[in-house]
Amino acid sequence: MKPILVIAINFVREQRWPILVMLLYVLLLAFLGLTTGAARQRDDLLFVFKQVAVYVVAFSVFFGSAAIFNDRRSRRILSVLSKSIGRQDYLSGLILGITLASAIYSIALGVTGTWTLGEAGFPVRQVWFLMICLLAACMLCGSVALMFSTFLNPFLAAGATAALMVLPFVVSRISGNEMWMWVIPVDYFAAALEKSSFAVPDTGSWKAIFLALGETMVFWFLAAKIFSYMDIAVSVE
Amino acid sequence: MKFALEFDHVTKEYRSFFGRRFRALDGFSLQVYPTEIFGFLGPNGAGKTTAIHLAMGFMRPTSGSGRLLGEPFGHAITRRRVGFLPENLGLYPRPAEQLIRFYGALNGMKSSDLKSRAGEVLEMVGLEDHARRNVSRFSRGMQQRVGLAQALVSDPELLILDEPTSALDPVARVGVRELLMRARTQGKTIFLSSHLLSEIELLCDRVAVLHRGRLVRLGRTDELLESYERTEIAARGISPNGISKAIVPDRSSWNFDPDGMVRIAVPRDQQRATISRIWEAGGEVISVLPQRRSLEEIFLEVTSGADSAASGGIQ
Repeated sequence: MKPILVIAINFVREQRWPILVMLLYVLLLAFLGLTTGAARQRDDLLFVFKQVAVYVVAFSVFFGSAAIFNDRRSRRILSVLSKSIGRQDYLSGLILGITLASAIYSIALGVTGTWTLGEAGFPVRQVWFLMICLLAACMLCGSVALMFSTFLNPFLAAGATAALMVLPFVVSRISGNEMWMWVIPVDYFAAALEKSSFAVPDTGSWKAIFLALGETMVFWFLAAKIFSYMDIAVSVE
Repeated sequence: MKFALEFDHVTKEYRSFFGRRFRALDGFSLQVYPTEIFGFLGPNGAGKTTAIHLAMGFMRPTSGSGRLLGEPFGHAITRRRVGFLPENLGLYPRPAEQLIRFYGALNGMKSSDLKSRAGEVLEMVGLEDHARRNVSRFSRGMQQRVGLAQALVSDPELLILDEPTSALDPVARVGVRELLMRARTQGKTIFLSSHLLSEIELLCDRVAVLHRGRLVRLGRTDELLESYERTEIAARGISPNGISKAIVPDRSSWNFDPDGMVRIAVPRDQQRATISRIWEAGGEVISVLPQRRSLEEIFLEVTSGADSAASGGIQ
């Protein structure tokens, strides 16, 4: 367990600049809340909050799709995997790292939302529930991106992840059956976030969160299986 | 016997996107004994790094198998007992001591042990004064020493080093050589891939020469050097025609000085017969000088010999 944690912390450390840039968006939200008067501009504030929340899901896709590639390109992966850690541990460390990075952002956003939206009358409990949904979506997206990145380059992996995430939404729209949104619940979380308003704040379901966690495990397992068959080092000779 | 490292008829093929195949290793077999320093030689593209990466479990062989400290390649727990320094090492940008602790932690070492151990290994590679400096600001030679320190951090039984001294200055190179000698006296096995043949000659108990994915020479370093020892015989009173007909047909083995003296280079085991033939041809032997050849000369001969054999379809 310790090596997994070490890899995760190392990942966050390596991604500190993107994380700081992301936190600037949260700071922007706090600034808006401070300067505009939260109670008067509350719908605008909620809109910005939702928008800022979605960014982290996109970031988790980029984190996941580029993690292995960056380590391979810099050849750092050789000294890491030469230690007594299996490839599945390495992937676990990366997924945990993506989760930690997303958690930092989600907590910062949750604190800002509590302060700004809470003051405007939005239930604080729901702010934090949406943050948990966001974190679950990030974990799932990160693990899917990581799975694709075991055999695709980062751009294709990010594209494939986005396509897979959007697919249930498209199918649900075509078929008119909203149950399709549950296949990969990122769409469900996006819908929950979108529907949440001052009039109807309570959206989302714990079931979807547990489903996302379960699917994260499945994609981690698939990633580990695929990665175990891949050659790590490209031929240098 | 339990070998420290063993390749058993290992073949590795790379495939391009369009399905074109390139065979980096071809039925490669090798055994490395415990507590020896083993030199792994070969020109660029011979398959050395591929063999090392297979041993470390970074890739899978196309066919064949191998064992690292008695366990199949890729066994993660066994790698705790192995220190590996890759060629063209990539390091995370952070202070040297922190980085060494990071690598030690990956091997499951306790934080309390790591603090003192990181200092020890940095001292071993002569970087104790730079422990708090970020490795991204280090020279390539210093980074290579950090790489060596990370390989040593968990006090491994087997060290696999891919070009460990390529970026080092002569002083640092001597330091690494002494470090490896010390490691051997402590009972460690060292598998050393290098282009610096003088280093290999000084350090290694046995050497293997790999060429185009095949093992072309394997043996004890001293025996290999001895088997390639030659003798230079200086003689007078024989014509070039007489030499090529009766003494040494191979024109590249002899040459005439302007004063009419001929110098003939022959393998040591042919020395006596060659002298007899010179006498029989009416020549006079002036001097007989043993010539010790360097590993570099032997390496060039072996690899060019393998090339010509391959082009002649002998292999």
